[in-house]
Amino acid sequence: MRSPDTAAAHHAPILPLLAKELWEITSGRALWIMLLILCPLVGYSFFQAVSLYREASSAGQDSPALASSLSPLDGVLVPTFGGLYLVATLLFPFVAIRTLGSEKESGALALLVQLPYRVPTLIFAKMAAILGAWLAAVICAASALAVWLALHGHLYVPETLNLVIGHLLYGLLVGAIALFSASISESAATAAIVTLAFSIGSWVLDFALTGQPGVLGWISRLSLTQTLRAFEQGLLSAGLVLGIVAAIGGFAALAAVWLHPGVPVSTKVIRSVACVALVAAVIALSTQVALSVDVTEDRRNSFPAADQRALAELREPLIITVHLAPEDPRYVDLRRNVLAKLERAMPRVTMRLATGGQSMVGSASDEAYGEIEYSYAGRLDRSRSTSPREILPLIYTLAGRPIPAPIAGQDYPGYPLVANGSPALAWFFGGLPLLIVALWWRSRRPPQIAAHLIKNGDQA
Amino acid sequence: MTAASVAAPVLMQVERLAKRYGDQHALTDISFAMNAGEVLGLIGPNGAGKTTLLRAIAGIVAADDGQILWRGTALPLPRRREFLFYLPDGVRPWEDQYVARVAELFAAIYGRSEAFLADTIRSLGLAPVLHKRIAALSKGYGRRLLLALALLTPHPLVMMDEPFDGFDLRQTRDIMNVLRKVAGSGRTLVLAIHQLGDAARVCDRFVLLAEGRVRGVGTLSEFRAQIGQPAAALEDVFLALT
Repeated sequence: MRSPDTAAAHHAPILPLLAKELWEITSGRALWIMLLILCPLVGYSFFQAVSLYREASSAGQDSPALASSLSPLDGVLVPTFGGLYLVATLLFPFVAIRTLGSEKESGALALLVQLPYRVPTLIFAKMAAILGAWLAAVICAASALAVWLALHGHLYVPETLNLVIGHLLYGLLVGAIALFSASISESAATAAIVTLAFSIGSWVLDFALTGQPGVLGWISRLSLTQTLRAFEQGLLSAGLVLGIVAAIGGFAALAAVWLHPGVPVSTKVIRSVACVALVAAVIALSTQVALSVDVTEDRRNSFPAADQRALAELREPLIITVHLAPEDPRYVDLRRNVLAKLERAMPRVTMRLATGGQSMVGSASDEAYGEIEYSYAGRLDRSRSTSPREILPLIYTLAGRPIPAPIAGQDYPGYPLVANGSPALAWFFGGLPLLIVALWWRSRRPPQIAAHLIKNGDQA
Repeated sequence: MTAASVAAPVLMQVERLAKRYGDQHALTDISFAMNAGEVLGLIGPNGAGKTTLLRAIAGIVAADDGQILWRGTALPLPRRREFLFYLPDGVRPWEDQYVARVAELFAAIYGRSEAFLADTIRSLGLAPVLHKRIAALSKGYGRRLLLALALLTPHPLVMMDEPFDGFDLRQTRDIMNVLRKVAGSGRTLVLAIHQLGDAARVCDRFVLLAEGRVRGVGTLSEFRAQIGQPAAALEDVFLALT
């Protein structure tokens, strides 16, 4: 149907809508209060981290080995951004819910859905505002990096950026969940409860199910907190990023499905099922994407460079059969120190658990329990070690290759720093809060009103 | 009432519209038509189903049965916002925003010129409160702002729920004049009004609604003829037909 008397539905500019969403999120108190609370959380985390780093660095002055293990990523960045994680989990949902919750409560939703934008466009604009708000929080937290540099601290850009990207994605995921919760809830309070159920449910999964075998272990990987772990370990995983982006898109799509009050519930349910199925398929696909990059300066997620090169040249499939229960600490060691690194270094690695996901209690009676079998090019060997120092030579022997000589000059030097973190307290407890209050005050000022709008003020 | 508006072509038809909330029938078999350029009054007591009917037509609530036709063609829910705009009652949208900002937002979204925006603000007397937050507006100014937003839209059909709520007698007359001018420019207005005196002054035709059913559709003259009382007021007509 195309009638000359339709409103210009398909040509409405997007910028006014984006501006409206930004006004909405900045005009409420929630964003500013969140930023003000973020300041002491990040500031004190940073101060504590620098203090502990200073103590470790002081000890490292007498021990070169200890000094070479001092990494700002573990020592300063991850603890500092821990405050941001808390804020994202417990406070940011309230900011994100406001983008829709206030419109539902005030009745503005009836006007919003009549604007000449498709519902996905409305949700896109809200997600853009949520991203803007979270960027503001990340910038506040990232100001700690500037303080760290001012203290002559060292930053390795790839691992720092990777951590920031991880927190951006985590915040956006929480924001998408909050938007979905606001979409299905009649009030902001109910939406907050639904969102916090996701966050606290994730903690329950972490505490109760992590390391469990079988389905329970798989369920534990759905925890929101899992999204940050790889980034904190200095890994940029294509599969993980794809999975998080799919989850963000899925929650945003569900928010769009449930936004319009005029669509029958049965239709919304059918669309939701289709949406969940599609997102589940993408997430399942993402688990099969093995591509990941070790972005750390100390290459903690990789073998030494000489081994990496040698392993990359092994073209035959390496089959590893592990006779360990998934919750066995030896398996956790093996997974972290060897298997995960092998999967990134070698083109064709297949790993299977011989215990079939059974618990330690059920598997321990097996005589082979604890063994790890390595099969390469028709040759087989066994080991009970979980250390790469023993396993890599075993693999080279199976492949008929010599053990590669270490490459000189590639050792991580470590970055000890004896610094005083007190200046950070002045910034995070004084300067930054004052700056936030000033921006808050500025955001509340009335807009400039064009003279011609005021001039003819009287009613006709 | 203008003779031209009564004789104008049918713009939109509501056919057999029905809405239930559980066992309660909020709307039953609602059918009527709107003509281009007329002011149609949807009148009935509180609880008659006026708001539900407007929301169902606009697609803000899902109807259980029936359809909306635009110039004889079915108008599906996703396309209704292209043809008609519904102004709800009792809402105070975007309370933290300034009046000027929200008015400019609607003007920008719908591509209205600054002159049109200024004219709309002038016609509704909004200039004194442009610098105020919406939360700080009186009920009357809040209603004026909503009317301004509706008038800034370009839709050929605008439905307003209780447009005179919050106005005193003089203000109501002023707003009626504004709405008559809007209708005179070719836009069709559907006004849900529970004050029958107001409805009689501003509307060309009426849909009488009671207990979720249409009890009559026509002009005041037609109703008077129907009940056999040539001098009856709209109140008398309504009481006789419902």
